Amino acid sequence: MQNKAKRYPGESKWKGLLYLLPALLLYLIFTFLPILETIRSSFFQAESLYGARSFVWFQNYIKLFQDSQFLSALRNNFVFIFFYSFLPISFGLFLASFLARVRVPGMRLFRTLYFIPQVLSMVVVGVMWRWMYDPNIGPINVFLRWLGLEQFAQAWLGSFTFALPAVGMAAAWVQYGFCMVLFLSGIQRIPEELYEATSLDGANAFRQFWHVTLPGLIPELSVALMTTIIAALRVFDLVFAMTKGAPGGSTEVTGLLIYRWAFELNNHSYAATMATVLTLIILLISLVIRRVFKQSEKGAL
Amino acid sequence: MKKKPFLIIFLLATIILGACQPKQSTPSEKQTLVVWDQFYRDEESKVIDQLNAEFEAKHPGVSIQREVKVLEDLSLTVKLALANEDGPDVAQVNQGRVDMGALVKDGLLLSLDDYAKQYKWNERFPGTLLARNSFSEDGKQFGTGHIYGVSPTAEVVGVYYNKSIFAQHGWAVPTSFDEFLDLLAKIYEVGIVPISFGSLDGWNAIHLFSAIQHLHVSREYIDDFVYSRNDVSFDTEFNLKALYQFYDWVKLDYFTPNFQGIGYDASNESFKKGEAALTITGSWLAPELLTGTDQTFGFFLLPGYEEQQALAIGGLGIPFSIRATTEKKDLAAEYIDWMVSERAAELWADAGMVPAMPLPKKYKLQNDTLFADTVEAWQHINANNLVGHYIDWATPTMYDRLVFWLQRLLSFVSTPEEFIIGISQEYEDWKPYQQ
Repeated sequence: MQNKAKRYPGESKWKGLLYLLPALLLYLIFTFLPILETIRSSFFQAESLYGARSFVWFQNYIKLFQDSQFLSALRNNFVFIFFYSFLPISFGLFLASFLARVRVPGMRLFRTLYFIPQVLSMVVVGVMWRWMYDPNIGPINVFLRWLGLEQFAQAWLGSFTFALPAVGMAAAWVQYGFCMVLFLSGIQRIPEELYEATSLDGANAFRQFWHVTLPGLIPELSVALMTTIIAALRVFDLVFAMTKGAPGGSTEVTGLLIYRWAFELNNHSYAATMATVLTLIILLISLVIRRVFKQSEKGAL
Repeated sequence: MKKKPFLIIFLLATIILGACQPKQSTPSEKQTLVVWDQFYRDEESKVIDQLNAEFEAKHPGVSIQREVKVLEDLSLTVKLALANEDGPDVAQVNQGRVDMGALVKDGLLLSLDDYAKQYKWNERFPGTLLARNSFSEDGKQFGTGHIYGVSPTAEVVGVYYNKSIFAQHGWAVPTSFDEFLDLLAKIYEVGIVPISFGSLDGWNAIHLFSAIQHLHVSREYIDDFVYSRNDVSFDTEFNLKALYQFYDWVKLDYFTPNFQGIGYDASNESFKKGEAALTITGSWLAPELLTGTDQTFGFFLLPGYEEQQALAIGGLGIPFSIRATTEKKDLAAEYIDWMVSERAAELWADAGMVPAMPLPKKYKLQNDTLFADTVEAWQHINANNLVGHYIDWATPTMYDRLVFWLQRLLSFVSTPEEFIIGISQEYEDWKPYQQ
């Protein structure tokens, strides 16, 4: 309703659309059409690289949901949500509420330092953490031995128990800076009066966080949750650089399988099927998050 | 005025001759040969540049347009590029079913049978080696049919040993497998890591297991297994025996501590520093061990059981192939022939790499060097028909599955028996696809 009143007289709606056209065209050619083609090819099966392909209905999908490798990769993706999303968001929230409320000298420096991992290329992060986890010369084990905790020093990335959490921690290290900066900007938007009022009422820092900061950050939380969960589900580069799915498939993720089927095993249709299913899962989760946060936003206001 | 008709004739003649010239004198025609290779490492790249320059010098008017990529990148892009009219005329195509096999299936590679006869490649390479770059015309049968590539370099997997450590303790190169086992025990006793190893990357674990496996299997079995012939199975007594041997070494602590979390490069780095007495890998490592270290190294083949000629994992480097649709077939074949010439062998040898083709008779290897060791090892297995295989070529997903099961085995998550069941299943599942 308001938009209509804001429009200047004589300005045509079509002119605005015209400005959108170049971007729309690029989107259509480089994003939308490839997505459609991916979905289409998931219903085919090719004889060879360039040979004829035949329409096989849902055969690829049936095969996919019986593929134990895919299912365990998907499970690992969901485990990664903890490391990509919940851990960085909690830690980011803690840091943000701390950095925003307490005046510490050199605050800017800290903010920049915490954000640095987010700027690095994932491959660089992977190579760096691979070295950190090296069982014999890596700093983590060296530190443990120095503390006299020799029994805890181990082959982190080669361990069936610890490889997945170890890669996950590297991911958490990358993500928390982004969450922190997002929450910091959100907190600045919360009216100062709310904090003053609550402190007059005798609320301590924890209660202020619970009743003022958290409800005020709902839009940022929604964005953070959405982007980090999507990152967890489509992870490829970090795992590729650190373990390539080792040991024995315990860090295998869907992204790696898609790569392998498409480019190493020449089965583009099957890779497309995986990609389609992964996209649907991501879409579904995004919708649920939006729905939930839309409602709680209404409740908070 | 009188001269005019003559002038016209002269002009006409030059125009006609000029127009005809390119067709009449092919040798000096301007031609560009587009070549894609994966010799990106400094030493290797210099050899190719040198060979290209000499080829151009011999063929006036021919220029070579070289494009270098790392192997993974090449494998990915070459499948697209060879389907294009303006793709590379000559390209290195990885062996095996998913690369060369897939391209043959779509008719994108030129059969080199005629050129092999013309240039007598079978005199330079034994038939069993040419078979590795051969496929049936439909791309389904591996190791038979037409030749689709020729490899300039060779590889052999064996044992590197630290000569300094050996001299210090008075150890000698073992001549039988039992002597080798004794040696491992002796090294372990003095508190040195016997075998530098890291299984995080996975593929070198396949080599380690398969190196032991090669001591047990017959020539026929390993050929049949890799080429999927004669209905052979992975579930055999000798495969289990080899697995148990490997498993024993893990239990006896013969490998680098925490090797499960160490990558291939890190393991070699540690071996180079003298932190282990041995490491088991391919001849490609030799150039790296020659510089930047104060230790000296040697190389020997994993010795077999008494009175038995032991096979060793070995093979040819990535072969050169020709795009089926190129118009410069003959020139491309001549180029490939140059890449596997005696001159090329000499240059590869100078660079510390093992050439697949024989070295010129006058070429002298420097005795007692690491490189002489690797070349001798290759010549021994090649001359005696003992060149084994990379077993992960057997099926498209074999590499992946072997890494999967080996990493489980090495962490005591699975037993050798479960390993055998897992890989046999993979192999049996693949067979129907073959038909």
